[in-house]
Amino acid sequence: MLKKELILRNPLRQLGFETEDILSAGAFGAVLAHAGVGKTALLVQLALNGMLRSRNVLHVSLKDPVNKVNLWYNELFHHLAGRYEGAQVNSLLESVLPHRFIMTFRVESFSVPKLEERLNDLTEQGIFSATMMIIDGLDFDESRRSDLNDLKALAVKNGIHIWFTVRSHRHEASGVDGLPVSFSAVAGLFDLVLELQPERADVHIKMLRGSGSTPVGSPLLLDPSTMLIKDQV
Amino acid sequence: MSSSTVEKVRNIGISAHIDSGKTTLTERILFYTKRIHAIHDVKGKDGVGATMDSMELEKERGITIASAATFCEWQEHEINIIDTPGHVDFTIEVERSLRVLDGAVLVLCSVGGVQSQSITVDMQMKRYKVPCIAFINKCDRSGADPSRVIAQLHSKLGHNAVAMQMPIGLETDFRGVIDLLSMKATYFEGENGEQVRSDEIPENLLAEARSKREEMIDAASLFSDELTEAILEESPIPDALIMDAIRKGTLARKLTPVFLGSAYKNKGVQPLLDAVNQYLPCPADVENTALDLDHEEALVELLPDSSLPIVALAFKLEDGTYGQLTYVRVYQGTLAKGAVIVNTRTGKKVKIGRVVRMHADQMEDIEAATAGYIAALFGIECASGDTFVSPGLNLTMTSMYVPKPVISLAIFPKDNKSQINMSKALNRFTKEDPTFRTHVDEETNETIIEGMGELHLEIYVERMKREYGTDVETGKPRVAYRETITQRAEFNYTHKKQTGGSGQYGRVAGYMEPITEGDEDFIFDNQVRGGSIPTQYIAACEKGFLQCLAKGPKMEFPVTGVKIVINDGASHAVDSSDMAFQAAARGAFREGYGRAKAVIHEPIMKVVVETPTEFQGAVMGLLNQRRGMIVGAQDEGPMTVVEAQVPLGEMFGFSTVLRSSTQGKAQFTMEFALYRQIPQSIAEKIAEDVALRKKSAA
Repeated sequence: MLKKELILRNPLRQLGFETEDILSAGAFGAVLAHAGVGKTALLVQLALNGMLRSRNVLHVSLKDPVNKVNLWYNELFHHLAGRYEGAQVNSLLESVLPHRFIMTFRVESFSVPKLEERLNDLTEQGIFSATMMIIDGLDFDESRRSDLNDLKALAVKNGIHIWFTVRSHRHEASGVDGLPVSFSAVAGLFDLVLELQPERADVHIKMLRGSGSTPVGSPLLLDPSTMLIKDQV
Repeated sequence: MSSSTVEKVRNIGISAHIDSGKTTLTERILFYTKRIHAIHDVKGKDGVGATMDSMELEKERGITIASAATFCEWQEHEINIIDTPGHVDFTIEVERSLRVLDGAVLVLCSVGGVQSQSITVDMQMKRYKVPCIAFINKCDRSGADPSRVIAQLHSKLGHNAVAMQMPIGLETDFRGVIDLLSMKATYFEGENGEQVRSDEIPENLLAEARSKREEMIDAASLFSDELTEAILEESPIPDALIMDAIRKGTLARKLTPVFLGSAYKNKGVQPLLDAVNQYLPCPADVENTALDLDHEEALVELLPDSSLPIVALAFKLEDGTYGQLTYVRVYQGTLAKGAVIVNTRTGKKVKIGRVVRMHADQMEDIEAATAGYIAALFGIECASGDTFVSPGLNLTMTSMYVPKPVISLAIFPKDNKSQINMSKALNRFTKEDPTFRTHVDEETNETIIEGMGELHLEIYVERMKREYGTDVETGKPRVAYRETITQRAEFNYTHKKQTGGSGQYGRVAGYMEPITEGDEDFIFDNQVRGGSIPTQYIAACEKGFLQCLAKGPKMEFPVTGVKIVINDGASHAVDSSDMAFQAAARGAFREGYGRAKAVIHEPIMKVVVETPTEFQGAVMGLLNQRRGMIVGAQDEGPMTVVEAQVPLGEMFGFSTVLRSSTQGKAQFTMEFALYRQIPQSIAEKIAEDVALRKKSAA
């Protein structure tokens, strides 16, 4: 019951995406924002939604240690399921955690061949086989193009879709498409780009590129106090 | 003790990951403070072993199992050091030490950095709010990188770590340290590094040193307005101002000053001792409280004043040649020879015979130990964790967090002599270590020992052999499974025996349900109204239910997490009795339990493996084979840290397999995480094992 309800609270349904995976296998999605606005929180919510639907999520972090990433999941899950009793929530979380695998790298030592090697270690031994990947903390600019191409090939080969966090800088100008200039160079590889924009007390989630329908009625907002998508049902 | 002397007392612990060199560091501290006159290595070829490792077994294994308390003096300050064990299986020792300490030195390896055990120890320090300074050891080792370790202190432990020193050269080229406060280079000369020479900073390091000093002052300025003003006014900044700010930050646990060195190569130890005096708290800086048993455990603040009534905590016991030695920390008053004290737990009065100050396994008689001090008492009968007070007081120190054992082992003495010695040994070990327990299984008549891990029990079995000459055989380790229910179930049971003689009659009705909030094992709720069960039999009902918890009806494991509500029943004017209602409650429990969908839970351990990256795939495979759920893999340059949750029942013999799969290069730590329901297939296997064991016992 709780599981069903949480699945229905797919954070992006108001952008026209229902309960199924937003991205198809091999596709790239990005969440764009300044530092500290809630990129990781949004992606962890997408990951939790996938895990609740028994999708395996590989969370790759280039900035946080395993414990901290784990904490994001625990905190957000408990916020999401806030009004249910503790034991029920804990046991549901316990049951979905095997659908997640965290891998952390130091930014300077991250490379696609290394990631592929790790991924193969997991799939060949039957330990974990991902259908969704999150890469948090990768820097984006033209020099990353070849890495991103390799990641695209990896995603297609393994039938997974990848979500990235993209950090934008306040001093950086936006191009005609609304994307930061440094990201524009590689934006062609992305099927969906969402932007988090703080406006007064809320954080607005805007779709800069993608095929979801335009939000109907009120805009999609992130609550800065819980880092959760605001319930507007 | 006057306040001026208490200011010069430091009670510190040295905590770290296994093999980061903390015993070597302690050894050097004792040497420089002239408590010992020669240096022996932990795994030394001279066969003497480090002074702090007083137990023979520790010397052989090169690890420190039990805390040894020792005392030394440095620059007119009196320092009591507790050397703490590094292995997770012995964390109760670490926790006990932290409970009585005012500050700690967190030793980190400059190559290994913040390792899994450092994280556990750090969590314990947080729990007891112990301020700490960090010492990055082994700067002479190949691959040494203190700045990476400082970054890890930030990222992994969340410490606001600030470098107080900078290395002069690293690895084999490590020559000394630059003190960023005095902006001088410090070298350690003489055969054992005992001559500290101060010199100008080498030209090529000056710019870096200046920038690091800026960083240090910046961090310190958060704790002193005066310092901030001095920075803004660009006036010369006195060292004392910076030191004062850093001390404030350290005491508030908001800043961790970091020092460097190589204890093994005799470098950096003396400045660390200066830092202990300078930045770690004295007993008066720390607020200690006790619980007043006469006033519903209200908190009472303890003052480090030697003229007040005594409050002291026994935190460690040791059986020595001269009888039981009790390590105590005095929080208030004066523990003097001849004084009378009361053990709060037992209410027994005792007279203090001898008070000694310990130095590893040697001792020195003293007249009294005053507030703030750690000392040892002779001939006092007590258990670890007991509180001693002056007659008239009824205070107890906050009880220490003691985890429940997760593993047990049957032990069999080989002969009669061993049987007697085994009892003596078990009696002492259970007093010393609250996580080590023992009992006799009623059915099999076997002596069972329980503890926190395989190694924990192994060490005690070995100690029994060595220290008590007890020859024992051990059975297979057994996991502490538990039973619990998953749904609400009603019961309505009548116990009736009215066939001649005095009869028995009692009816108990109500329901049982799982406890969903909190971690209580058993809740009994009496909702009987109108006297259908007379009040005098309610306690008998509770007792009856409690009797059923020790052995669950499903597989005879202890039952936990059950709430019993009784709301109806019946009695008989003549035939009802305590016995009858106990029996009725037992029947009711069995009746309800059968419908409450009972399941078996098993202990799940948090296992952290540190392995060279090339073996990470193999390590994950090993964990996966053991029903492990891998939480994540963390890339740490040449090493990868794999964290997993694995059922304890699958972890037996893991160290051997891990060694052989990684050429002995990986190491792991394991600690209890949670209880989780076991899969059906495993439950069936356990049921078979239990049946087999019962059969063989019969």
